[in-house]
Amino acid sequence: MGVTCVSQMPVAEGKSVQQTVELLTRKLEMLGAEKQGTFCVDCETYHTAASTLGSQGQAGKLMYVMHNSEYPLSCFALFENGPCLIADTNFDVLMVKLKGFFQSAKASKIETRGTRYQYCDFLVKVGTVTMGPSARGISVEVEYGPCVVASDCWNLLLEFLQSFLGSHTPGAPTVFGNRHDAVYGPADTMIQYMDLFNKIRKQQQVPVAGIR
Amino acid sequence: MADVLSVGVNLEAFSQAISAIQALRSSVSRVFDCLKDGMRNKETLEGREKAFIAHFQDNLHSVNRDLNELERLSNLVGKPSENHPLHNSGLLSLDPVQDKTPLYSQLLQAYKWSNKLQYHAGLASGLLNQQSLKRSANQMGVSAKRRPKAQPTTLVLPPQYVDDVISRIDRMFPEMSIHLSRPNGTSAMLLVTLGKVLKVIVVMRSLFIDRTIVKGYNENVYTEDGKLDIWSKSSYQVFQKVTDHATTALLHYQLPQMPDVVVRSFMTWLRSYIKLFQAPCQRCGKFLQDGLPPTWRDFRTLEAFHDTCRQ
Repeated sequence: MGVTCVSQMPVAEGKSVQQTVELLTRKLEMLGAEKQGTFCVDCETYHTAASTLGSQGQAGKLMYVMHNSEYPLSCFALFENGPCLIADTNFDVLMVKLKGFFQSAKASKIETRGTRYQYCDFLVKVGTVTMGPSARGISVEVEYGPCVVASDCWNLLLEFLQSFLGSHTPGAPTVFGNRHDAVYGPADTMIQYMDLFNKIRKQQQVPVAGIR
Repeated sequence: MADVLSVGVNLEAFSQAISAIQALRSSVSRVFDCLKDGMRNKETLEGREKAFIAHFQDNLHSVNRDLNELERLSNLVGKPSENHPLHNSGLLSLDPVQDKTPLYSQLLQAYKWSNKLQYHAGLASGLLNQQSLKRSANQMGVSAKRRPKAQPTTLVLPPQYVDDVISRIDRMFPEMSIHLSRPNGTSAMLLVTLGKVLKVIVVMRSLFIDRTIVKGYNENVYTEDGKLDIWSKSSYQVFQKVTDHATTALLHYQLPQMPDVVVRSFMTWLRSYIKLFQAPCQRCGKFLQDGLPPTWRDFRTLEAFHDTCRQ
């Protein structure tokens, strides 16, 4: 697992999500990237059940259970600012058994699907974020395989991102700041996806409020 | 003419011998004429017989005299010289049709050219031997008989010495760690780990570096049975490029008499890769060129360049 940067691409003015994705993929292909199949990252939310809350009345914590097609035999479970657990796919079955402690939030499943591109040692994934039937945004993930220390290659990644995202290049992800010389791992990528999904969930609420 | 050719033939005696042959021919024909004429008319039969016999004897004597003269002259003529300088190729020069088959002149030119070539090649090899390109300490072109009895010592070093040198270099740089093992006989195999950037497998032959393979920090360097995998390439293009550069470096740093200096310089050059992903190219200022970071490190200044940007 190399250093990965997950970011959101804003939808272009006057265009749909689909068209913006097409624009991006065309730019990538012009750069010389090769298509290499598809990918999918999804996320389900669970509340801690009310019965487990103590008399202190703590707020229920949210737990996210995520899957990544890059690691088909693994399942990631993370809390917002807490630890990330990497388990195998039987964890989903375990969650069913833990219904008493964790309850699934309604209509919370959010996922991103799209195509993978390979350019030299970079792996680029452009996906459409959907919640239910509606497309909510565009996720862009860039992984640089050879490097495993985040602080080393941020400049290099930034240069690559600029070459095809142009002005929409993101800033350094917060996970990079936390771990200076530690080896980058898949858990860090899932934390970035979790942040992205939360941001997109919050975004959609604004237009809904406007309609009302 | 006689002094120009100087082939050992006495031309004076030669012409005299030819005239002697003519004289011999005429005297032999006189004998047969005499026989053909028969006896001359004389008064008595005895007189005719005596005159005939006397005439016949004179003719035979003259034949004898001419033959002796010819033999004497033929001994003087001498044989043509046996030591012909051009042997069989000289016979080509006797071909009179020069413009259709200029074989002899072409042959002479080819011979002169090959002589010159051999001379120049000898001079060149003498000059080139002074700057030896071979990595062994043996002298080039020395035949088995003339090889000195004592073998050069740098190729047959005790393993303990090699271990000592490597452990000293290991302590030189804090971010580089070297692990030595000998899974296949006496040649050492080093696993050099440079920070969290890359791993290098170095195969050595006594204290000379033979091959290197550069792989990523997260790549597996062992085979399924736990031995060091010295053959499979890295799966990342950047490290395949660095492997090529490392091979160039081990051919560049050469000193057959002082191999430990060579290993030290190679490790110093390798250490400059600690900033493989952080250093921009010194020439174009960018980080990426065709998707690759600056992978070339200059051998003297250790500056980072893209492979296409280096001078």
